Amino acid sequence: MTTNTLTERYVREVVRRIPADQRDEVADELRATIADTVDARDGADREAAEHDVILEMGDPIRLAASYADRPLALIGPVFYPTYIRLLRMLLSIVLPIVVVVTVAVDIIENNDVGSAIGTGIGATVTVAAQMFGWLTAVFACIERWQPKGGNAQDPWTPDRLPDVKGTDKQAKGAVSSLVWYGFLIALIVWQHFAQPVILGGNRLEVINPALWSTWVMWTILAGLAALMVIEMIRLAARRWTLSLAIAASVAEGLFAVPLIWVLYEREFFNPEFLAQVTVFDEFYLITAIGVAVIGVVEVVNRFRLLSRGE
Amino acid sequence: MSSEELIAGQAQELRRGTVVLACLALLDEPQYGYALLETLNTADIAVDGNTLYPLLRRLEKQGLLDSEWNTDESRPRKFYRISPAGTRVRAELTREWQDLVASMARLTKETP
Repeated sequence: MTTNTLTERYVREVVRRIPADQRDEVADELRATIADTVDARDGADREAAEHDVILEMGDPIRLAASYADRPLALIGPVFYPTYIRLLRMLLSIVLPIVVVVTVAVDIIENNDVGSAIGTGIGATVTVAAQMFGWLTAVFACIERWQPKGGNAQDPWTPDRLPDVKGTDKQAKGAVSSLVWYGFLIALIVWQHFAQPVILGGNRLEVINPALWSTWVMWTILAGLAALMVIEMIRLAARRWTLSLAIAASVAEGLFAVPLIWVLYEREFFNPEFLAQVTVFDEFYLITAIGVAVIGVVEVVNRFRLLSRGE
Repeated sequence: MSSEELIAGQAQELRRGTVVLACLALLDEPQYGYALLETLNTADIAVDGNTLYPLLRRLEKQGLLDSEWNTDESRPRKFYRISPAGTRVRAELTREWQDLVASMARLTKETP
Protein backbone atom coordinates (compact mmCIF):
# COMPACT_ATOMS: atom_id res chain seq x y z
CA MET A 1 0.00 0.00 0.00
CA THR A 2 2.78 2.41 0.88
CA THR A 3 4.20 2.87 -2.59
CA ASN A 4 6.22 5.94 -3.41
CA THR A 5 3.64 7.58 -5.68
CA LEU A 6 3.04 11.32 -5.68
CA THR A 7 -0.37 10.75 -4.05
CA GLU A 8 1.12 8.61 -1.30
CA ARG A 9 3.83 11.17 -0.57
CA TYR A 10 1.24 13.95 -0.46
CA VAL A 11 -1.21 12.03 1.74
CA ARG A 12 1.53 11.19 4.18
CA GLU A 13 2.63 14.86 4.43
CA VAL A 14 -0.97 15.86 5.22
CA VAL A 15 -1.95 13.18 7.72
CA ARG A 16 1.20 13.30 9.80
CA ARG A 17 0.11 16.82 10.80
CA ILE A 18 -3.36 15.85 12.05
CA PRO A 19 -4.34 14.02 15.28
CA ALA A 20 -3.32 10.34 15.21
CA ASP A 21 -6.83 8.96 15.70
CA GLN A 22 -8.04 10.59 12.46
CA ARG A 23 -5.03 9.77 10.26
CA ASP A 24 -6.15 6.50 8.69
CA GLU A 25 -9.60 7.72 7.78
CA VAL A 26 -8.46 11.04 6.33
CA ALA A 27 -5.72 9.22 4.40
CA ASP A 28 -8.22 6.77 2.86
CA GLU A 29 -10.60 9.60 1.99
CA LEU A 30 -7.83 11.73 0.45
CA ARG A 31 -6.54 8.81 -1.64
CA ALA A 32 -10.04 8.10 -2.97
CA THR A 33 -10.72 11.76 -3.66
CA ILE A 34 -7.46 12.34 -5.50
CA ALA A 35 -7.97 9.18 -7.54
CA ASP A 36 -11.56 10.20 -8.39
CA THR A 37 -10.37 13.62 -9.52
CA VAL A 38 -7.56 12.15 -11.63
CA ASP A 39 -10.03 9.72 -13.23
CA ALA A 40 -12.26 12.62 -14.23
CA ARG A 41 -9.43 14.31 -16.17
CA ASP A 42 -8.45 13.31 -19.68
CA GLY A 43 -6.74 9.97 -19.29
CA ALA A 44 -3.91 10.55 -21.76
CA ASP A 45 -1.16 11.24 -19.23
CA ARG A 46 -2.18 9.93 -15.85
CA GLU A 47 0.98 11.08 -14.08
CA ALA A 48 0.62 14.65 -15.34
CA ALA A 49 -3.02 14.64 -14.23
CA GLU A 50 -2.03 13.38 -10.77
CA HIS A 51 0.58 16.13 -10.58
CA ASP A 52 -2.00 18.80 -11.49
CA VAL A 53 -4.61 17.51 -9.06
CA ILE A 54 -2.15 17.53 -6.16
CA LEU A 55 -0.95 20.99 -7.17
CA GLU A 56 -4.55 22.20 -6.91
CA MET A 57 -4.98 20.61 -3.49
CA GLY A 58 -2.18 22.90 -2.34
CA ASP A 59 0.34 23.01 0.47
CA PRO A 60 0.00 19.97 2.77
CA ILE A 61 0.56 22.18 5.83
CA ARG A 62 -2.42 24.33 4.85
CA LEU A 63 -4.67 21.36 4.09
CA ALA A 64 -3.70 19.61 7.34
CA ALA A 65 -4.44 22.78 9.33
CA SER A 66 -7.83 22.89 7.66
CA TYR A 67 -8.53 19.26 8.57
CA ALA A 68 -7.33 19.70 12.14
CA ASP A 69 -9.16 23.04 12.49
CA ARG A 70 -5.90 24.59 13.58
CA PRO A 71 -4.76 28.21 13.18
CA LEU A 72 -2.31 29.02 10.40
CA ALA A 73 -0.86 31.91 12.39
CA LEU A 74 1.64 31.75 15.23
CA ILE A 75 -0.45 34.20 17.26
CA GLY A 76 -4.01 34.70 16.08
CA PRO A 77 -6.31 37.71 16.29
CA VAL A 78 -7.72 36.68 19.69
CA PHE A 79 -4.41 36.99 21.53
CA TYR A 80 -2.58 39.46 19.29
CA PRO A 81 -3.63 42.65 21.18
CA THR A 82 -2.60 41.20 24.55
CA TYR A 83 0.66 39.97 23.03
CA ILE A 84 1.53 43.39 21.58
CA ARG A 85 0.58 45.16 24.83
CA LEU A 86 2.81 42.87 26.92
CA LEU A 87 5.68 43.02 24.43
CA ARG A 88 5.58 46.81 24.42
CA MET A 89 5.57 46.90 28.22
CA LEU A 90 8.50 44.48 28.46
CA LEU A 91 10.62 46.34 25.91
CA SER A 92 9.80 49.89 26.99
CA ILE A 93 9.80 49.48 30.79
CA VAL A 94 11.39 46.25 31.98
CA LEU A 95 14.24 46.21 29.45
CA PRO A 96 15.60 49.70 30.28
CA ILE A 97 15.45 48.89 34.01
CA VAL A 98 17.35 45.63 33.59
CA VAL A 99 19.96 47.35 31.41
CA VAL A 100 20.41 50.26 33.84
CA VAL A 101 20.86 47.87 36.78
CA THR A 102 23.31 45.72 34.80
CA VAL A 103 25.36 48.74 33.77
CA ALA A 104 25.33 50.08 37.35
CA VAL A 105 26.63 46.76 38.69
CA ASP A 106 29.32 46.73 36.00
CA ILE A 107 30.44 50.25 36.90
CA ILE A 108 30.61 49.34 40.60
CA GLU A 109 32.57 46.17 39.85
CA ASN A 110 34.96 47.29 37.13
CA ASN A 111 34.94 51.10 37.34
CA ASP A 112 35.50 51.28 33.59
CA VAL A 113 33.34 53.24 31.13
CA GLY A 114 34.27 51.09 28.11
CA SER A 115 33.38 47.89 29.91
CA ALA A 116 30.11 49.43 31.11
CA ILE A 117 29.10 50.50 27.56
CA GLY A 118 29.91 47.03 26.23
CA THR A 119 27.92 45.42 29.01
CA GLY A 120 25.02 47.79 28.31
CA ILE A 121 24.88 46.96 24.59
CA GLY A 122 25.29 43.25 25.27
CA ALA A 123 22.56 43.25 27.93
CA THR A 124 20.17 45.21 25.68
CA VAL A 125 20.53 42.78 22.77
CA THR A 126 20.47 39.61 24.88
CA VAL A 127 17.63 40.58 27.20
CA ALA A 128 15.50 42.01 24.37
CA ALA A 129 15.96 38.80 22.35
CA GLN A 130 15.09 36.67 25.39
CA MET A 131 11.97 38.71 26.17
CA PHE A 132 10.80 38.59 22.56
CA GLY A 133 11.53 34.89 22.19
CA TRP A 134 9.95 33.70 25.40
CA LEU A 135 6.87 35.88 25.15
CA THR A 136 6.29 34.72 21.58
CA ALA A 137 6.81 31.07 22.54
CA VAL A 138 4.36 31.34 25.44
CA PHE A 139 1.69 33.02 23.29
CA ALA A 140 2.15 30.50 20.48
CA CYS A 141 1.52 27.73 23.04
CA ILE A 142 -1.57 29.51 24.40
CA GLU A 143 -2.84 29.94 20.83
CA ARG A 144 -2.56 26.20 20.20
CA TRP A 145 -3.80 24.80 23.49
CA GLN A 146 -6.57 27.18 24.42
CA PRO A 147 -9.97 25.48 24.76
CA LYS A 148 -11.74 25.54 21.38
CA GLY A 149 -14.31 28.29 21.15
CA GLY A 150 -13.11 29.84 24.40
CA ASN A 151 -12.92 33.58 24.79
CA ALA A 152 -9.72 35.51 25.28
CA GLN A 153 -8.55 35.38 28.88
CA ASP A 154 -7.99 39.09 28.96
CA PRO A 155 -10.88 40.90 27.27
CA TRP A 156 -10.45 44.54 26.42
CA THR A 157 -12.67 47.07 28.23
CA PRO A 158 -12.88 50.86 27.89
CA ASP A 159 -11.31 51.13 31.37
CA ARG A 160 -8.03 50.15 29.76
CA LEU A 161 -7.79 53.31 27.70
CA PRO A 162 -4.87 55.36 28.99
CA ASP A 163 -5.74 58.85 30.30
CA VAL A 164 -4.95 61.64 27.90
CA LYS A 165 -2.58 63.35 30.32
CA GLY A 166 -1.34 62.97 33.85
CA THR A 167 -1.46 59.23 33.29
CA ASP A 168 0.74 58.23 36.19
CA LYS A 169 1.24 60.81 38.90
CA GLN A 170 3.48 58.50 40.88
CA ALA A 171 5.65 57.26 38.00
CA LYS A 172 8.71 59.16 39.24
CA GLY A 173 8.28 57.73 42.72
CA ALA A 174 7.93 54.22 41.32
CA VAL A 175 11.05 54.57 39.17
CA SER A 176 13.09 55.95 42.07
CA SER A 177 11.88 53.07 44.30
CA LEU A 178 12.89 50.66 41.57
CA VAL A 179 16.36 52.20 41.27
CA TRP A 180 16.71 52.21 45.06
CA TYR A 181 15.87 48.50 45.44
CA GLY A 182 18.18 47.67 42.53
CA PHE A 183 20.93 49.72 44.16
CA LEU A 184 20.47 47.88 47.49
CA ILE A 185 20.68 44.48 45.78
CA ALA A 186 23.75 45.57 43.82
CA LEU A 187 25.38 46.95 46.99
CA ILE A 188 24.79 43.76 49.00
CA VAL A 189 26.04 41.49 46.19
CA TRP A 190 28.99 43.75 45.38
CA GLN A 191 30.27 44.03 48.96
CA HIS A 192 30.08 40.22 49.22
CA PHE A 193 32.09 39.47 46.09
CA ALA A 194 34.36 42.51 45.76
CA GLN A 195 35.23 42.66 49.50
CA PRO A 196 35.78 46.41 49.19
CA VAL A 197 36.97 47.30 52.70
CA ILE A 198 40.71 47.03 53.26
CA LEU A 199 41.58 46.86 56.95
CA GLY A 200 44.94 45.73 58.36
CA GLY A 201 46.03 44.64 54.88
CA ASN A 202 43.05 42.27 54.41
CA ARG A 203 40.10 42.71 52.06
CA LEU A 204 36.86 42.35 53.97
CA GLU A 205 33.17 42.35 53.32
CA VAL A 206 31.11 44.51 55.65
CA ILE A 207 28.02 42.35 56.15
CA ASN A 208 28.40 39.09 58.07
CA PRO A 209 29.28 36.43 55.43
CA ALA A 210 27.66 33.77 57.65
CA LEU A 211 24.27 35.24 56.69
CA TRP A 212 24.76 33.94 53.12
CA SER A 213 24.81 30.34 54.33
CA THR A 214 21.46 30.68 56.10
CA TRP A 215 18.07 31.71 54.79
CA VAL A 216 18.48 35.26 56.14
CA MET A 217 20.40 36.92 53.29
CA TRP A 218 18.46 35.08 50.61
CA THR A 219 15.14 36.12 52.13
CA ILE A 220 16.29 39.76 52.23
CA LEU A 221 17.40 39.59 48.58
CA ALA A 222 14.22 37.78 47.55
CA GLY A 223 12.17 40.49 49.26
CA LEU A 224 14.06 43.24 47.42
CA ALA A 225 13.78 41.43 44.08
CA ALA A 226 10.05 40.92 44.64
CA LEU A 227 9.66 44.62 45.44
CA MET A 228 11.39 45.45 42.12
CA VAL A 229 9.06 43.16 40.16
CA ILE A 230 6.01 44.62 41.92
CA GLU A 231 7.12 48.20 41.17
CA MET A 232 7.52 47.23 37.49
CA ILE A 233 4.01 45.79 37.37
CA ARG A 234 2.77 48.89 39.19
CA LEU A 235 4.44 51.05 36.48
CA ALA A 236 2.74 49.03 33.75
CA ALA A 237 -0.65 49.22 35.49
CA ARG A 238 -0.09 52.97 36.15
CA ARG A 239 -1.56 52.68 39.63
CA TRP A 240 -1.62 50.48 42.69
CA THR A 241 -4.16 47.68 42.80
CA LEU A 242 -5.25 45.89 45.96
CA SER A 243 -3.42 42.68 45.07
CA LEU A 244 -0.26 44.62 44.17
CA ALA A 245 -0.35 46.55 47.46
CA ILE A 246 -0.81 43.31 49.42
CA ALA A 247 2.02 41.63 47.48
CA ALA A 248 4.26 44.64 48.15
CA SER A 249 3.48 44.42 51.88
CA VAL A 250 4.50 40.75 51.91
CA ALA A 251 7.70 41.54 49.99
CA GLU A 252 8.43 44.44 52.34
CA GLY A 253 8.09 41.98 55.24
CA LEU A 254 10.42 39.48 53.54
CA PHE A 255 13.01 42.21 53.26
CA ALA A 256 12.57 44.07 56.55
CA VAL A 257 11.85 41.35 59.15
CA PRO A 258 15.09 39.34 58.67
CA LEU A 259 17.07 42.59 58.48
CA ILE A 260 15.55 43.88 61.72
CA TRP A 261 16.18 40.53 63.35
CA VAL A 262 19.91 40.36 62.45
CA LEU A 263 20.36 43.99 63.50
CA TYR A 264 18.65 43.30 66.81
CA GLU A 265 20.73 40.17 67.36
CA ARG A 266 23.89 42.13 66.40
CA GLU A 267 24.66 39.58 63.69
CA PHE A 268 24.66 42.15 60.90
CA PHE A 269 28.37 42.98 60.59
CA ASN A 270 31.28 40.76 59.62
CA PRO A 271 33.07 39.78 62.89
CA GLU A 272 36.45 40.51 61.22
CA PHE A 273 35.18 43.96 60.34
CA LEU A 274 34.00 44.50 63.93
CA ALA A 275 37.46 43.49 65.23
CA GLN A 276 38.84 46.61 63.56
CA VAL A 277 35.91 49.02 63.77
CA THR A 278 33.90 49.99 66.81
CA VAL A 279 30.14 50.01 66.33
CA PHE A 280 28.22 51.59 69.18
CA ASP A 281 25.51 49.46 70.78
CA GLU A 282 22.92 52.12 70.11
CA PHE A 283 23.50 51.77 66.37
CA TYR A 284 21.77 48.36 66.24
CA LEU A 285 18.63 49.36 68.07
CA ILE A 286 18.25 52.70 66.25
CA THR A 287 18.84 51.14 62.83
CA ALA A 288 16.44 48.27 63.57
CA ILE A 289 13.75 50.75 64.62
CA GLY A 290 14.54 52.90 61.57
CA VAL A 291 14.11 49.94 59.18
CA ALA A 292 10.84 48.99 60.91
CA VAL A 293 9.45 52.54 60.76
CA ILE A 294 10.40 52.99 57.09
CA GLY A 295 8.82 49.61 56.27
CA VAL A 296 5.55 50.50 57.99
CA VAL A 297 5.49 53.96 56.37
CA GLU A 298 6.04 52.38 52.93
CA VAL A 299 3.24 49.87 53.46
CA VAL A 300 0.81 52.52 54.74
CA ASN A 301 1.79 54.88 51.92
CA ARG A 302 1.00 52.28 49.25
CA PHE A 303 -2.51 51.75 50.65
CA ARG A 304 -2.97 55.53 50.84
CA LEU A 305 -2.03 55.84 47.15
CA LEU A 306 -4.31 52.88 46.38
CA SER A 307 -7.27 54.66 48.00
CA ARG A 308 -6.51 57.76 45.89
CA GLY A 309 -6.37 55.68 42.72
CA GLU A 310 -2.70 56.40 42.09
CA MET B 1 -5.16 46.60 -6.83
CA SER B 2 -7.26 46.71 -10.00
CA SER B 3 -11.05 46.94 -9.76
CA GLU B 4 -11.39 43.42 -11.22
CA GLU B 5 -9.27 42.01 -8.41
CA LEU B 6 -11.22 44.07 -5.91
CA ILE B 7 -14.53 42.73 -7.20
CA ALA B 8 -13.20 39.15 -7.26
CA GLY B 9 -12.03 39.47 -3.64
CA GLN B 10 -15.30 40.97 -2.42
CA ALA B 11 -17.35 38.39 -4.35
CA GLN B 12 -15.37 35.63 -2.68
CA GLU B 13 -16.15 37.19 0.70
CA LEU B 14 -19.86 37.16 -0.23
CA ARG B 15 -19.76 33.50 -1.25
CA ARG B 16 -17.91 32.37 1.83
CA GLY B 17 -20.41 30.74 4.17
CA THR B 18 -22.88 29.82 1.45
CA VAL B 19 -20.98 26.58 0.81
CA VAL B 20 -22.21 25.09 4.10
CA LEU B 21 -25.85 25.71 3.21
CA ALA B 22 -25.28 24.43 -0.32
CA CYS B 23 -23.78 21.18 1.04
CA LEU B 24 -26.63 20.70 3.50
CA ALA B 25 -29.11 21.34 0.70
CA LEU B 26 -27.53 18.75 -1.59
CA LEU B 27 -26.94 15.94 0.87
CA ASP B 28 -30.42 14.47 1.26
CA GLU B 29 -29.05 11.67 -0.92
CA PRO B 30 -25.66 10.31 0.20
CA GLN B 31 -22.74 11.51 -1.91
CA TYR B 32 -18.96 11.14 -1.81
CA GLY B 33 -16.52 14.05 -1.84
CA TYR B 34 -15.59 14.37 -5.48
CA ALA B 35 -19.16 13.82 -6.75
CA LEU B 36 -20.43 16.52 -4.41
CA LEU B 37 -17.72 18.90 -5.62
CA GLU B 38 -18.82 18.29 -9.21
CA THR B 39 -22.48 18.80 -8.32
CA LEU B 40 -21.67 22.07 -6.56
CA ASN B 41 -19.54 23.37 -9.43
CA THR B 42 -22.20 22.40 -11.97
CA ALA B 43 -24.70 24.38 -9.86
CA ASP B 44 -22.35 27.41 -10.09
CA ILE B 45 -21.29 27.19 -6.42
CA ALA B 46 -17.56 27.74 -6.84
CA VAL B 47 -15.59 25.81 -4.24
CA ASP B 48 -12.20 24.07 -4.24
CA GLY B 49 -11.56 20.53 -3.08
CA ASN B 50 -9.09 21.66 -0.44
CA THR B 51 -11.90 23.75 1.08
CA LEU B 52 -14.75 21.28 0.62
CA TYR B 53 -13.19 18.04 1.93
CA PRO B 54 -12.06 19.42 5.32
CA LEU B 55 -15.42 21.23 5.54
CA LEU B 56 -17.37 17.96 5.11
CA ARG B 57 -15.33 16.40 7.88
CA ARG B 58 -15.94 19.40 10.14
CA LEU B 59 -19.69 19.28 9.53
CA GLU B 60 -19.62 15.56 10.34
CA LYS B 61 -17.79 16.28 13.60
CA GLN B 62 -20.41 18.91 14.44
CA GLY B 63 -23.12 16.28 13.96
CA LEU B 64 -24.72 17.94 10.93
CA LEU B 65 -23.68 15.14 8.57
CA ASP B 66 -23.58 11.35 8.92
CA SER B 67 -21.07 9.29 6.97
CA GLU B 68 -20.63 5.73 5.81
CA TRP B 69 -17.90 3.94 3.87
CA ASN B 70 -19.16 2.28 0.72
CA THR B 71 -16.97 -0.66 -0.30
CA ASP B 72 -19.25 -2.07 -3.02
CA GLU B 73 -17.13 -0.65 -5.82
CA SER B 74 -13.43 -1.24 -6.47
CA ARG B 75 -12.50 2.04 -4.80
CA PRO B 76 -13.86 2.48 -1.23
CA ARG B 77 -15.45 5.92 -0.81
CA LYS B 78 -16.82 7.81 2.12
CA PHE B 79 -20.44 8.87 1.58
CA TYR B 80 -21.93 11.80 3.47
CA ARG B 81 -25.61 12.53 4.06
CA ILE B 82 -27.44 15.07 6.17
CA SER B 83 -28.31 14.07 9.77
CA PRO B 84 -31.54 14.92 11.65
CA ALA B 85 -29.66 17.71 13.46
CA GLY B 86 -28.35 18.91 10.10
CA THR B 87 -31.92 19.05 8.74
CA ARG B 88 -32.95 21.38 11.58
CA VAL B 89 -29.88 23.60 11.03
CA ARG B 90 -30.61 23.66 7.30
CA ALA B 91 -34.16 24.93 7.91
CA GLU B 92 -32.84 27.78 10.09
CA LEU B 93 -30.07 28.68 7.65
CA THR B 94 -32.48 28.64 4.72
CA ARG B 95 -34.70 31.11 6.54
CA GLU B 96 -31.66 33.31 7.30
CA TRP B 97 -30.69 33.18 3.65
CA GLN B 98 -34.14 34.20 2.45
CA ASP B 99 -34.23 37.10 4.93
CA LEU B 100 -30.82 38.19 3.69
CA VAL B 101 -31.88 38.04 0.05
CA ALA B 102 -35.03 40.06 0.84
CA SER B 103 -33.04 42.68 2.80
CA MET B 104 -30.46 42.97 0.06
CA ALA B 105 -33.15 43.27 -2.60
CA ARG B 106 -34.71 46.18 -0.69
CA LEU B 107 -31.35 47.86 -0.09
CA THR B 108 -30.07 47.55 -3.63
CA LYS B 109 -33.37 48.78 -5.09
CA GLU B 110 -33.13 52.02 -3.10
CA THR B 111 -29.70 52.80 -4.53
CA PRO B 112 -30.06 53.99 -8.12
